[in-house]
Amino acid sequence: MNDEELLKQVGTGDEDAFRQLYHNTDRTVYSFILSILKNPQDAEEVMQETYLKIWTSAASYHSQGKPLAWIFTIARNLCYMRFRDQKRQADMGLDDLNGEETGELCLPLENLADAMVLRSALEILKEDERQIVLLHASAGLKHREIASNLQMPLATVLSKYNRAIKKLKQYLREE
Amino acid sequence: MQGSGLGQLNTRQIEKHLKSAVDTLTPNILEQIDFSVPQIKVSGQEQQNQVMLLRLQRRMRRLAAAAAACVCLVFIGGGSFYYHMENRRVESVIGIDVNPSVELSINRNGRVLKVRALNEDAVSIIDGMDLEGVDLNVAVNAVVGAMVTHGYLDDLDNAILVTVSNDSVRKARELRSSVVGDIEHVLKENQVEAVVYDQQVIEDEEIDAIARQYNISYGKAYFLKELIDQNQGLTMEDMEALSSMSMEEIAGRIAESSYALGELADQAEDPETTEETSQKPETSEETASVEETVTATESSETAAEETETTTAEETTTAPLATAPATEAQEEQPEEDTVEIDYVDYEEGMIYVCFLERVKWNTPSVVVRDRDGNSYAAMVSDSSRNDCFIEVDGLEGEKEYTFVLGGLCPAGSDTAVTVKGYFEVPEIASEILDEEDTQPEETEEREETEESEETEESSSRETDADDRKPTETETTVSETVKTEEEIESRTEPSSEDLKDSKEESS
Repeated sequence: MNDEELLKQVGTGDEDAFRQLYHNTDRTVYSFILSILKNPQDAEEVMQETYLKIWTSAASYHSQGKPLAWIFTIARNLCYMRFRDQKRQADMGLDDLNGEETGELCLPLENLADAMVLRSALEILKEDERQIVLLHASAGLKHREIASNLQMPLATVLSKYNRAIKKLKQYLREE
Repeated sequence: MQGSGLGQLNTRQIEKHLKSAVDTLTPNILEQIDFSVPQIKVSGQEQQNQVMLLRLQRRMRRLAAAAAACVCLVFIGGGSFYYHMENRRVESVIGIDVNPSVELSINRNGRVLKVRALNEDAVSIIDGMDLEGVDLNVAVNAVVGAMVTHGYLDDLDNAILVTVSNDSVRKARELRSSVVGDIEHVLKENQVEAVVYDQQVIEDEEIDAIARQYNISYGKAYFLKELIDQNQGLTMEDMEALSSMSMEEIAGRIAESSYALGELADQAEDPETTEETSQKPETSEETASVEETVTATESSETAAEETETTTAEETTTAPLATAPATEAQEEQPEEDTVEIDYVDYEEGMIYVCFLERVKWNTPSVVVRDRDGNSYAAMVSDSSRNDCFIEVDGLEGEKEYTFVLGGLCPAGSDTAVTVKGYFEVPEIASEILDEEDTQPEETEEREETEESEETEESSSRETDADDRKPTETETTVSETVKTEEEIESRTEPSSEDLKDSKEESS
């Protein structure tokens, strides 16, 4: 059963279908959320909210052949809601959260090289570049799948991906 | 704190580290999902309205002016109405003519909105079927299956006409190919052989009038009008006789009299009827007018048909599909080729998009420059429509050739090779903020010009050939895959991309 069919099943209250859908998509969804939030702790919480929302709202999914795009929309909205909440709480500008300077990013990773590369990606790349890079490199999505689910032209995805990797290489070389 | 070796990381290593990092970080939150939370049981439309309303409410807080809020409300109402209407809007109409003529109207998602029986035979075919809301392929299966069951497709001389009407030529082409594939599948399952003619049409009042006058489907009217226009031996007076014939009889007449099938027609072998050949629909062209193709012919005895290959009127949209040299066509009538739609190169990655679907066996690729030096390259990702080739060590401002191997046209098991060109732009990868596909344009235009010349010459050759019907000739302007042949093809780049985007939008 593909994700589309699984999602329809989830809409009927099928928990097994939900589990299967979760296993099929968890890495992708986490990569996507992490690419927006840039913080593993927040990403985990939003991931949980996202899957809960998938469970509660699956019945309203309109079959359009893009279950992942639908999931991304949910996840993106929840990420932005979190930004707003944080902004309200900390009374700080969205740009500070979304932008360059949030202090040293803490990644609970034992492998220093992994941590360094991921931190660099999260810190120096723009949001759309982070999404594309993490979805491809970490979640294993193909470029055209990314293009389709993020509603971007394929050429743009390719170009942004290559550009981002180049930036990363350069950054890591200089570091 | 970083390792000292990090400075030398290549793309693959970076990807590997990113994968490993995210693999480690990805939490398992499945057990934390509370399945007792009730699911929202609302229709999608209501849900969408709710989500939009929620957004609206948030925005409202920030909006001081009540007038602005009103504008938003109107917008949202209109938006959901638009969404609803879009899904109820007929985007394409698929006509299936055997003698029963059935018309399926579908929406943009490929779901059937309406089924029409266009003659008495068709009424019995669709009697009792509830096809509204089902996917097109299911409906096509049901309709053609019923035609077989009712005995309209039972002997060797069957013929089916598939007509696709859609404002977007590209979309129509995709649909046409998909419907023909579905029909062939049903025929194969039922062990029935048939000529499948397929055409894509645009709305034309004259054709509409003919269809009404002779009480035939729009597709059949279009087909016959083209047939008459293209053959001097036929006049509009023959329309009456032709219109009362079944497609089988018309096919017989075409074969018997070697009629040409229309300005833009061609044909290909049906895989099940001729073992050594496989279905090979001609690459359709983007033209300002209409496209018509015969994608499968019946057994070779009846396949003596003329064809005229399509030539691209707008080279910017489909400069690839050049007609092959006649000689080569005769020499290798059963060979398949794969057509490249366009090639894009960006920083170590070649993207190749095909015009038709392909199957992959063991993909291989060779990239060479003009001096014959080869470069390390591999097919890193492949699908039915495209593939990515990673390549290292290319220099800027040079032209390169790649030869892809290990792929077959859909419907064939014969592996072919495809050759294409690309140019590595002079610029500099350092200019990070340049536009995405900009570098390709100049180079591709040059190639397009070359292609125009090729097309002109090769289509002349093919036209000459078309006057000599042969028994097993399968049309297709693309039956050749000699290097010279493929070399004459070009790959439009970003312009095509834009075109296709515009069209699909």
